[in-house]
Amino acid sequence: MQSLSVPRWRSVPRDAVALREFDGEFVVRNESTGNSHLLGLLAGRVLVVLLDARGSLDAAEIASHLDTTVSPVETGEAYDAVEEVLAEFCRLGLADIEST
Amino acid sequence: MILRELSRQTLRSCLANGGVRLRTGPIVTCIRSRCDEVLNGLALLYADYPVEDEGSFADFHAAIAPPRSVRRWLRPQISFEFDGASPFFPLPADQAFAALEWGLNWCVSFHCHQYLIVHAACLERTGCALLLPGEPGSGKSTLCAGLVSRGWRLLSDELALLDFATGEAVPLPRPISLKNAAIDVIRAFAHDAVLSTPVHDTSKGSVAHMRAPLESVHRAGELARPRWIVLPKYRSDATTSLNPLSRGRAFMELADHAFNYDLHGRRGFDLLADIVSGCHCHTFEYSALDEAVTVFDTLSATA
Repeated sequence: MQSLSVPRWRSVPRDAVALREFDGEFVVRNESTGNSHLLGLLAGRVLVVLLDARGSLDAAEIASHLDTTVSPVETGEAYDAVEEVLAEFCRLGLADIEST
Repeated sequence: MILRELSRQTLRSCLANGGVRLRTGPIVTCIRSRCDEVLNGLALLYADYPVEDEGSFADFHAAIAPPRSVRRWLRPQISFEFDGASPFFPLPADQAFAALEWGLNWCVSFHCHQYLIVHAACLERTGCALLLPGEPGSGKSTLCAGLVSRGWRLLSDELALLDFATGEAVPLPRPISLKNAAIDVIRAFAHDAVLSTPVHDTSKGSVAHMRAPLESVHRAGELARPRWIVLPKYRSDATTSLNPLSRGRAFMELADHAFNYDLHGRRGFDLLADIVSGCHCHTFEYSALDEAVTVFDTLSATA
């Protein structure tokens, strides 16, 4: 049986984004695309976790780093929410799956 | 010297020859034209503005002149010229002054990149600036005209200039552009307002310009720190309502309405974020201008 590896995520380098938090929302500028985005609390916290990480993280590791006040949901739901955020980050060029 | 100190004959001669160097806030524009509409418009709406000496530096060299084509013989037309080039299609001659105003907006929005430029009206009260970003038709200019008629200082009707060094709004007080129904609304609301004769059938409908209050012109050197960001929306049946807007959303609105946000990169992001962090942010719907003024007077008391 073939085992599927869990994707591991890495954000763009910290100096490639500008980030500000306002009252539970985040505005972020992606220097590599020149685009600015408005992120909700969960997405903003996920990005901060990725930016602060020393290496790549999988969705479960990211979810475990999140403050419970950010995502007061069951572990499975938090995992799903983080995966959705990561997929959006991939589309926006804020994070990518680490190639093995 | 201010423009009204020039006799009509001198003004006409200057416009026809070397140009009139008109100062509006930090910007000097050398304007040339032989059109009566331009002469009359400047005399009516820019009478109290400083005029710089002939030969002194001008940021822009603009002219309103007949187009260089045979069409001008078929139907009187004018072209806006910038540094000798004509960036726009010719317009009917009766739109000459409006074309000058639109052209001057274009000069600023596409060239004054020492500022972050936001498509917004900007006013001041109690030392604090109010930013009103909005699309054409949002009622921003009508609201702006109503507020300056009730004591707010005009910094700009159309282009908010934000200074990178201080984060303050830089005044660029020029005539307020009123369109269609807004012309009669302001005539009824501000009986002493000075408006140009409307020109009809422009690309924006009927257009008239309202003279900036004298105090706004005199205080064009006084910058003001933004304190409120309000997204106005005129709707004919709207109940007056001011509602909170998150700072994140306000940031995105300002960025969307900025002409040169992308050009400035990280610098533009930091400036907007700093400005937004110091502002109260709202959306605003209105139909009754007197009620709108009351709301903003109350808002200014929170500075």
